[in-house]
Amino acid sequence: MRLDPRPGERIDRSEPIRFTFEGKLVEGFAGDTIGSALYAGGRRVFSRSFKYHRPRGLLCCSGACPNCMMEVDGVPNVRVCVAPAHEGAVVKAQNVRGSLERDLMAATDKFGGPFTPVGFYYRTMIRPRAAWPLFEKFLRSAAGLGTIDKHARRTGRYDVEHRHADVLVIGGGSAGLEAARAAAASGEHVVVVDENAPRGDAPGGLELLAPATALGIYEGGLVPVAAGRILYKVRAKRIVVATGALEQPVIFPGNDLVGIVLPEAVRRLVHDFSIRPGEKAVVLAADDDALAIADDLRDAGTQVLEVVDLRNGPHRISASGTKGRLNGVGVEGVRYNCDLVVASGGRQPAYSLLAQAGATVAYDEGRGVFVPRDLPANVEAVGSVTGEGTGSIAPAKTLLGDKTFVCLCEDVTEKDVKRAIAEGFDSIELAKRYTTVTMGPCQGRLCHLASVRMYARETKQGEDAIGTTTARPPWSPVELGLLAGRPHEPGKRTSIHHRHKEAGATMMWTGSWRRPHSYGDPAAEARAVHESAGLIDVSTLGKLVVRGPEAAVFLERIYPNRFADLKPGRIRYAVLGTDGGRIMDDGTVARIDDETFYVTTTSTGAEGVIEWFEWWNAIWKLDLSIVDVTGAVAAVNLAGPQARELLGPLTDVDLAPDAFKYLDAKQGKVAGVPTLLLRIGFVGELGYELHFPSPHGETVWDALAATGATPFGLEPQRILRLEKMHVLIGQDTDSESNALEASMPWIVKFEKDEFVGKWALEHVQERGMRDRLVGFEMQNGSVPPEGGAVVRDGRLAGRVTSARFSEQLGRAIGLAWVPEELAVEDADITLRVSAGLERAKVRLRPFFDPEGERLRS
Amino acid sequence: MKDIFRVRRMWRPRSELKPRYDVVIVGGGTHGLATAYYLAKNHGITNVAVLEKSYIGSGAAGRNTTIIRANYRTPEGAEFYKKSVELYEELGADLDFNLLFSQQGHLTLAHSDRGIITATERAEVNQLLGIDSRVIGRDEIRELCPEMDLSDDVTWPVMAALYHPRGGIIRHDAVVWGYARGVDRRGIEIHPYTEVTGIDRENGRVTGVQTNRGPISCGTVISATAGWSTLVCDLADVPLPITTHILQAFVTEPMKPFLDVIIVSSQMHVYISQTDRGEFLIGAEIEPYTTYRGTSTFPFLEFAARHTLELFPQLERVKVLRQWTGLCDVSPDYSPILGKTEVEGFHVSAGWGTYGFKAAPIVGTTLAELVATGDTPALIQPFELERFYTDTLVSEVAAAAVSH
Repeated sequence: MRLDPRPGERIDRSEPIRFTFEGKLVEGFAGDTIGSALYAGGRRVFSRSFKYHRPRGLLCCSGACPNCMMEVDGVPNVRVCVAPAHEGAVVKAQNVRGSLERDLMAATDKFGGPFTPVGFYYRTMIRPRAAWPLFEKFLRSAAGLGTIDKHARRTGRYDVEHRHADVLVIGGGSAGLEAARAAAASGEHVVVVDENAPRGDAPGGLELLAPATALGIYEGGLVPVAAGRILYKVRAKRIVVATGALEQPVIFPGNDLVGIVLPEAVRRLVHDFSIRPGEKAVVLAADDDALAIADDLRDAGTQVLEVVDLRNGPHRISASGTKGRLNGVGVEGVRYNCDLVVASGGRQPAYSLLAQAGATVAYDEGRGVFVPRDLPANVEAVGSVTGEGTGSIAPAKTLLGDKTFVCLCEDVTEKDVKRAIAEGFDSIELAKRYTTVTMGPCQGRLCHLASVRMYARETKQGEDAIGTTTARPPWSPVELGLLAGRPHEPGKRTSIHHRHKEAGATMMWTGSWRRPHSYGDPAAEARAVHESAGLIDVSTLGKLVVRGPEAAVFLERIYPNRFADLKPGRIRYAVLGTDGGRIMDDGTVARIDDETFYVTTTSTGAEGVIEWFEWWNAIWKLDLSIVDVTGAVAAVNLAGPQARELLGPLTDVDLAPDAFKYLDAKQGKVAGVPTLLLRIGFVGELGYELHFPSPHGETVWDALAATGATPFGLEPQRILRLEKMHVLIGQDTDSESNALEASMPWIVKFEKDEFVGKWALEHVQERGMRDRLVGFEMQNGSVPPEGGAVVRDGRLAGRVTSARFSEQLGRAIGLAWVPEELAVEDADITLRVSAGLERAKVRLRPFFDPEGERLRS
Repeated sequence: MKDIFRVRRMWRPRSELKPRYDVVIVGGGTHGLATAYYLAKNHGITNVAVLEKSYIGSGAAGRNTTIIRANYRTPEGAEFYKKSVELYEELGADLDFNLLFSQQGHLTLAHSDRGIITATERAEVNQLLGIDSRVIGRDEIRELCPEMDLSDDVTWPVMAALYHPRGGIIRHDAVVWGYARGVDRRGIEIHPYTEVTGIDRENGRVTGVQTNRGPISCGTVISATAGWSTLVCDLADVPLPITTHILQAFVTEPMKPFLDVIIVSSQMHVYISQTDRGEFLIGAEIEPYTTYRGTSTFPFLEFAARHTLELFPQLERVKVLRQWTGLCDVSPDYSPILGKTEVEGFHVSAGWGTYGFKAAPIVGTTLAELVATGDTPALIQPFELERFYTDTLVSEVAAAAVSH
């Protein structure tokens, strides 16, 4: 019930707020949390527990424990004790069948106990195996807390902000603020992070992020801070951790009953929300601060029946209740009828952030808590996180009675822990995994110390010997949406992209690029290239300029084929290999002048090639520079028998066959734009690949399209290149393919002194060929699937890497890896097509224009 | 059922080390324990010690993302993992321990033509070997996983998937504990907190190991140390072509059943399953840099969250609870290195990258056979260390690297 207005309360009584819980109206005030409004309205049961479905009520009232998780506006697992109440909120209980008061699943508590000890599922439901899927279905539906709305969409407008401060103070308690003020006073830029909503303005000179949670101290001192829908990435020269200490529950039978709370819950209910927490109370506490809670209770009108200082020796405590709600507690044989027990077993330093940052954690015998030691550089700790003023009591031998919980999130009882030890799970890490203590939503805040101390007691070792489990980030549970940021995944688009869209192209992915698949009729587009001229946007090719006195030496060393003797103005096909002789990428190398080479790579391989070049030159230290001009340069390929006559009027370059030969590179203007013209032919017809500054993409494209050349997409390009048996790296080759077996022996110049991967290719030569990439022609015209199997004697003998129907040839053709002995012209091979077998003939020469006359025309 | 009322020790407390064992297994994870188990069960060899530098299952065994599948790309790999899945299916009954093996089915998504080719290739290889694996289209994907965003207006539309109905997830710790109990009951000793600091040899033959608890003499040493393989093999001067990387994963708070199939997207470098406890278990690709330092990174969380929400926008408000890191010993061809080395009597199980857990039962069976008979079983011959000298690599990059 709500008290009369009190100084310092967070609620604003002039502003009522109404929301619904399970369809019933709840009234609160601005400043209330959903939890406090519900509590003020008389609600005590907030959730049902994970395994036994026992009623649970507010315990910590500070967002740490699992007891108040509900569904709010469709969002599951909301800790309502800290979630601000807002007008119109729709709040529902979760993980119950029925209602919070009458949960059908609660039968597991009454009857299931003996059948469901720790790890029961490992020992049961083993046979018959056929029944397991049914058991599993039941287990799965019983587990889990909140329910996800299957139709939910992304709502989020999440943002990331960066902060670069001199000092970051994590924790806005007295020690934290003191450190922050001191730093600010000396002129430093200070950011303070605090979990609680701010009261009034931030102290002068400080930037206060609140309510906000530091998620971890990651490598390089990165501290991500979750603040509602903003993720702050804070990097500070100095990090001051002032995360304080966590109140620990007391372990006794019935210690999870609704009405047993930690002191902080009383502080918040009374002082922040002006609520009387209960009518009759008993205080059990192990430190002066917590004992003083009796005064707060009296202040709120609660009758305090007894205050027990737990430091004065072990106490036999046992609580009892009806329907999960506390009705009394026995201490040393004396029973008190009460509806509230404030129980605190002391305070444990909240060291997790420090441990993640690299501090060691040691047991402080005197205090009975774990404290951080050996802090990493630039990380400091102040206040109770250091252990100052903290302490905990040893768990008492428990009495017979109700269940005694060590871990509330996972419903792990003292009996479970004892049993785990008796079964041999005698290290804390094993025990954690077996009992699941500390693995629930509280992340060990309320159960870690208790479980370690219980282990120490049961195994008769010191807490120090037991040690702690590894502190894992994030320190507080954090929404996937906040981590993901805005739904936004960039794709790369060429400068001609809009023209393709206007022309009705269907787009597809090539690595991170969006490219036209076709403009509607791939066969017709391929036909246009063969018969007149086609135009394709190849801006996605990787483009590098390698320049310097030793550029030629560099290329000579890194590629298996020769470049030192390449004359300025000439082009050569280039296959890049790894040091293991495997094919990595391919492209062309044009020599512009003595010291300048223009290198193209595949669309998907550009980044890898640049890294590869830079990696090697870091070792060789040759005098050259490598510049990635992929984005700066657009490229289109004009190909087909009419390419010359169509391009002629647009350029100042002499295109006459004698003046501009196959594999020549020339600079000039096309449609007024400075262009590098490469006469190469991936698609097998006379062609010019035009490279020019990408801002002019549309200008050049429009000029070429206006000549009547037909735009063609990737799909027709694939048909055309397959007719020429041109290899697609990464599709026709895999990470183990080498140039020799990929039927490109002419590319490897063994006579060179050295090149990357030479030894490996020599080894291939010595051991002989095993498999070979060959062409094939289907006998009956059906097109096998790319990725399909080559079968011999019922076993896998190879695989199809490319296959298409070629209208030009009137046949289905493809490329496949076959055993070396089948790499013979006209050899018969068998391919799997739609789970049946089809015959094909091996072809070793290009299907179309094998002599390359059209290319050279 | 009687086991739930009766409290029995899973294994004996650690004993003193004996001066000699026939076989010393370095590493108390799934591979080491499985090898010990099958040595005793299949071959009656029980004078064996399993040495573990920390607690059992503390390495990759307890950090992996528990996916079991056989849909590999090479015939060698697929045949090997097929056998492993079959053993896993029987393992719970064999160990009399419920491993919570949930064969919910495994979907590897294809978001591009290239992805479909890879999926097809794997399906073809699998089908020829009798592995249930096929490429399915969107309609069938929608039936299996109606929750997934299959619309076209996303960055990476789902075009097809490789479906492997027998793929599943299992409780990884239970595998460790089940094997450990089986090993212990057959008389083999498990020595946690026992670190191997040296491997003794004479005339190219193993003679014993040095440990932090004193020396042991033995005729056979098996290294089953996953992320630490290169370091352990260094002790025997056996160089391995392995680089060590970290792989990260995280779990969310437990939620009611939402996802009943394992989703893998190589394109987006993310894989997602929901455990029997209700947590979403989400992982990504190995980090590109080499390290033995198992520190979790924040960019991983952001990256994996972003891609998870691309597939399942409904999970936007689900909270991450815990992230962790494991070490991966990555071989050049993404296939394991298994069996004999140039040091006689010193065998390895290494090069497991991200796919070692799936192989535990078959590794145990075959290594035990190797120790008992002295001959390398045909099933693991393709994976011998020797292949890096003869250049007969087994390329699983396409099926192992990001596919889990």
